[in-house]
Amino acid sequence: MRLIELIAVTGAIGVVVGVVAGADPHPPAPPVESTTFTSVHLPDRGADALVTPRARAQQAVDPSHDFYFTRVAYSGRRNPWGWGGGRGGGWRTDFPEAEFYFTQLLGRLIEIDVYTDHGGVNVLTLDDPALRRFPFVYIVEPGRMSLSEAEIRGLRLYLEAGGFLMMDDFWGVRETSIVEEQLAQVLPGRPIVEIPLDHPIFRSVYEIEEIRQVPNIRNGRNVGAGYVGARTDEGDHSEIPSVRGIMDDDGRLMVIINQNTDLGDAWEWAEDPWYPLDFSTYATQVGINTVVYAMSH
Amino acid sequence: MFEFLFKYRPVLFESGDFTFRTPWPVGLVVIAAVIFVGVAVLTYRGTGRKATPADRGILSALRIAALAVLLFSLLQPTLVLESVVEQRNFVGVLLDNSRSMTLPQEGGGTRADFIRETFGAEGSEVVDALNERFSVRYFHFGNETGRVESADALRFDGTRTDLASALVRAQETLSSVPLSGLVVVSDGASNAGPALAEALVPLQAASLPVYSVGLGPERLDPDIQVDRVELPRSVLRGSDIVVDVPVTQRGFARRSATLVVEDGARRLTEVPLDFGEDGEAVLARARFTLDEAGPRALRFRVPVQEGEEVARNNARDLLIDVREDREKILYFEGEPRYEVKFLRRAIWRDENIQVVVLQRTADGKYLRLDVDDGDELVTGFPRSREELFQYRAIILGSVEASLFTADQLEMLADFVSVRGGGLLLLGGRSALAEGGFAGTALEEVSPVLLEEPAADPRSAYTQVRVRPTPAGRAHPVSNIGEAILPEAAEVAEGVDLDDPWATLPPLSTMNRVVRTRPGASTLLLGTTPGGEDRVVLASQRYGRGTSIAFPVQDSWIWQMDATVGVEDQRHERFWQQLLRWLVEDVARPVSVTPEREQVESDESVPLTAEVLDSAYLAVNAAAVVASVTAPGGTVVETPLRWTIEEDGIYRGSVTLTEPGVHTIEVVATRDGETLGSSSSFVQVGPSDEEYFDAARRTASLRRLAEVTGGRFYTPSTIHDLPEDLRFTGAGVTRVDERDLWDMPILLLLLLGLIGAEWGYRRFKGLV
Repeated sequence: MRLIELIAVTGAIGVVVGVVAGADPHPPAPPVESTTFTSVHLPDRGADALVTPRARAQQAVDPSHDFYFTRVAYSGRRNPWGWGGGRGGGWRTDFPEAEFYFTQLLGRLIEIDVYTDHGGVNVLTLDDPALRRFPFVYIVEPGRMSLSEAEIRGLRLYLEAGGFLMMDDFWGVRETSIVEEQLAQVLPGRPIVEIPLDHPIFRSVYEIEEIRQVPNIRNGRNVGAGYVGARTDEGDHSEIPSVRGIMDDDGRLMVIINQNTDLGDAWEWAEDPWYPLDFSTYATQVGINTVVYAMSH
Repeated sequence: MFEFLFKYRPVLFESGDFTFRTPWPVGLVVIAAVIFVGVAVLTYRGTGRKATPADRGILSALRIAALAVLLFSLLQPTLVLESVVEQRNFVGVLLDNSRSMTLPQEGGGTRADFIRETFGAEGSEVVDALNERFSVRYFHFGNETGRVESADALRFDGTRTDLASALVRAQETLSSVPLSGLVVVSDGASNAGPALAEALVPLQAASLPVYSVGLGPERLDPDIQVDRVELPRSVLRGSDIVVDVPVTQRGFARRSATLVVEDGARRLTEVPLDFGEDGEAVLARARFTLDEAGPRALRFRVPVQEGEEVARNNARDLLIDVREDREKILYFEGEPRYEVKFLRRAIWRDENIQVVVLQRTADGKYLRLDVDDGDELVTGFPRSREELFQYRAIILGSVEASLFTADQLEMLADFVSVRGGGLLLLGGRSALAEGGFAGTALEEVSPVLLEEPAADPRSAYTQVRVRPTPAGRAHPVSNIGEAILPEAAEVAEGVDLDDPWATLPPLSTMNRVVRTRPGASTLLLGTTPGGEDRVVLASQRYGRGTSIAFPVQDSWIWQMDATVGVEDQRHERFWQQLLRWLVEDVARPVSVTPEREQVESDESVPLTAEVLDSAYLAVNAAAVVASVTAPGGTVVETPLRWTIEEDGIYRGSVTLTEPGVHTIEVVATRDGETLGSSSSFVQVGPSDEEYFDAARRTASLRRLAEVTGGRFYTPSTIHDLPEDLRFTGAGVTRVDERDLWDMPILLLLLLGLIGAEWGYRRFKGLV
C-alpha cells in the first residue's frame, strides 16, 4: 500500500468516527435558496483525505453569514499537502477545535454574525475561486509552507482584491525565513514591517498593551503547572514574539504575521484547565481585534 | 368673398348683435308668413294631373323658401355694433424688443425689419389707419417694459422676453384712459417672468381684448437646436454627471451629427447623434466627470451644420459649482460587516468624502473610525439635533430600531425632512422591516415599503442579480465604468460584455423589498434565482432631503469575487457615485440663491438667502451680508434684509457689470457669532436664450387673443387690424347699426330659388 492510499483509508475511517461521535453541537443550517459555497475544496492530489471527519461531513456552507473563520489548506515543504513536517500538522494544526472555540467566542463576546454551524469549519485552498467570498483567511504553521504557483497567484490576487491574511504559529529563525521567502513570492516588493502597539489593530475592540508569547499546549501546561524552567518559546531563537505585517499602498494591513507565538493552540485549548487562562484570554483578544480590523479596514 | 356676399367682414358679425328693425308687430308678421305659405301651397294645387305629389311638395318648398328670403329682407335685418368713437380712445401697441426679432421673417428680411417698417415713425398704412381712429401708445418689451415713441427707438437687444409682465404693465399704464385694446407684435416666445396665464386674468376681468400679431416662420427649417439641459447646481469634485440632452432638428432627417460637451477649452465628452425622421428629437446621453473645482461654465454644443436658419441655438451654456468640500457622512453599523471595510476602501482616496464610522462591536461598545477628534461620537449615536445635524448624510447599516431611542428616531426623520440631509438605508439581518423599523418615525422616510418580516431573517436569504432600470441608466449612480474581468474569466453565452452591470456577480439580501412608496424612484432591480424582482436601489424626496434604500448586504462581492478583475473599479465607482448623490443638494445652515445664474451686464440680480442655526431652526435676527467678488477681484458688499413674510429668509439684490463669473458669498452672524456662510455664482455675459424656440408660437398668440376677445394676425393680414379694432366694444363707443337687407347673398339666394323653381317645372314639363 502506497503512502497516499494509506492516508486515504485513514481519512475515511476518521469520517466514520466523526459522524458517530456526532460532535456537532449546533442545529443544521437552514436550507438556502441559491448559491452555496462548497467548502473543503482541496486540490486533486488526494489531500482531501486529510480533512477531519467534522469537515468532511460538511458539504456546503450556509452563505448568509457575515463572518467565516476560513482556514487555508496549503501545500507544505515536506510533501504537497503540508503535513508531516515533524511538528504539528501544517495547515490542519489545531483543526477543527481552534475554529470551533474561536468562532463560539467571537459570537459570544462581540456583536457579529459569525458562522458557527458544523463547528465553524470552512477550509479552502488558495487556488480555489471560492476563497474570494471570504475576505478573512487564517494560515497556521506556515513555517513549512511551500506554495505552488497557482497558490501563490491565488493568494496574491486575493490580497490585492482586498482579502486579509492572518498567519500564526511559526517559530525561530528557520521558519521565519521560510515564511518571508514565501510571502516575498506572493507579494514581491512589499516589505514585512513591525506593527507598533499604537496601530489600530491593537485598539479595534480590546486594548492590547503588550505583545505576549502564547505557548503551545505542552509548554502552556508546564507554565500553568508552575514547573521550574517551563518555557514558552520553541527554540531556534524564538524567545521574543512579534507581530509584523504587510501593508497595502494605502497603509492598511493586508497580512498580519504572528511570529513566535501560538494563538491557535490558545483558542483550541481555551477550556483546558491546565492551560493558563491569561494566554487564552490574550489570544482571543488578539484574534477578535484582528477579525474586527479585517472587517473594517 | 365673405365680405362680397355678406357686405361686411366676419369680425363685424362676431362683434355685433343681430336684430330686425321692422316696425310691424310680431302678430302681423306671423299672419303674413302663414298667408305666404298658404299662397305657395294653393298655387300648386291646380297644376294639373301631370304633377305628382312629390313635384308639388318640392315646388311648394322652393316657393316658400323664396318667399321666406323676401320676408327676411322686408323685416329689415340689422347688425348692431359698438364701434369706438374716433380719436376718443387709446390703443397700446406692445413691440417685441428681444434679440429673436433679429431672426428671419417669412418672405425675407428680419422680424425687426417688419416692426420698423410697420410701426416706424415714417408710418405705414396700418399706423395711419390706427392713428386715424385712436391715440396710439407704443411699448417695448423684452427684459423690461417701457414706453417708446415709435419702433425706430427699438434696438432689439433684449436677452429675454417677459410678455406677461409687459401686458400687465401696459394695462396699468393706460388704466386711466379709455382703452380699446392692446396689440402685441411678437414671435410669441415668453421665456422670463410670470406665466402668460397669470396676465390673462386681469385682462379678462377688464374685458380688454388683446390683438396679437405673430412674427417669424412657424418652423425653422433647416435647423438643429439643443433643447433644455438640466444640471445640478453644484456637485462634489470628481462627481460623474449623466445628462440627457434632447436635440431637435428639421431638415436633417437620417443624418448624423455630434454633441460636444466642453468645459472652457477642454472637451469633456462627445456623443454621436443619429437623427431620425424630420422633426423627431433625439436624446443624447452625455456622461462626464468634473474633476476641477470652482464654477465651471459648461457648453453643450452641436457644431453648426451648413444652411441652418439659426446658428445660435446649437449650444447651451450652463454654470455648475464644482465643490472642493469634504462632505462628512456618518455610517452607523450595528455589527462588524465587510460592507464597512469595502465601503471605506471604495472612497479611501476620495478627498471629497469623509465617512465617519460608528460600528457597534459589543453591547454598548463602539468602534469609531475616521472621527475628527477624540470626543466625536464618544457616547455613541448622536443624542442631540446639533450633533446629528453636523453630518451631511447618514448611512444606517444592519442596526435594529430598538438600539435607538424614540427621540433619536424622530431626529433621524427630521434629519431628512427638516435638515435636508441624505439618508441611506442598507440591507441586513437587523435592517429595515427585519430590524423592527415598521411603525417607527423612520418608516415613512424609507423609500421602500417595509413588508412583514420573516420570523428568521436567514430564511429570507436570497441572491439577486442586479440590473439598472431605465431610470437607473439615466442616473449617475449606474455609471460604474467598464468591467475588467480576470484573464481566464468564463462569461455565459448571451451576456453583453459592453454592459458593466451584466458581468457583476449577484449580491444577497435578507430583506424582502418588492415595493416602493408612491413617488419613489427605483434605479436598480435584482432578480432572484426564482425569477422574483427585488428593489435594490430606490430613492425618494422626503421633506427637504432625500432617502435612499440599498437593501442588499454584501456589495463588497462586486470587489472581491473571483469573477471580477482585481483592477476592476466598478465597486469603487458605484459607492463614490452613490455617496456623492447622497450629499448632493444637501442644505447648509446658510444658503444663497441668485434668481438667475446668467445675466447681462448691468443687470440686477435678486438674491435670496436662508439662515438657519445649527439645529436648522430659522433665524430672523441675523446680520446677513453678501460679498460679490467680480472676475477682476473687486469686492462689493450688500446687506440682505429679513423678509417679514417668511422666517429665516433674507433678500437683496446686486447689480453685476463686469463680464465673467462673479462669486457671491453670504455670511450670516448673530450677536457676533458666525452662523454660517455659503457661496453661489452668477455669470455675466451675452445670453443666447432668445435664439431658442425662435419659431412663431402661433398657438400661444392665438390663445392670448381668443381668451381676451381679440384676434390673431400675421403680417399678411395685419391690414385688417385697424378696422377690427373699431369694434372691440372697449373704451368710448357708440352704437352703430348696419343694414343687412341689401346683402348680395339675399338677392342671390332669392334669384337662385326662383330660378330653381322655374327650372324644375321646365324639367318636369309642368310649364
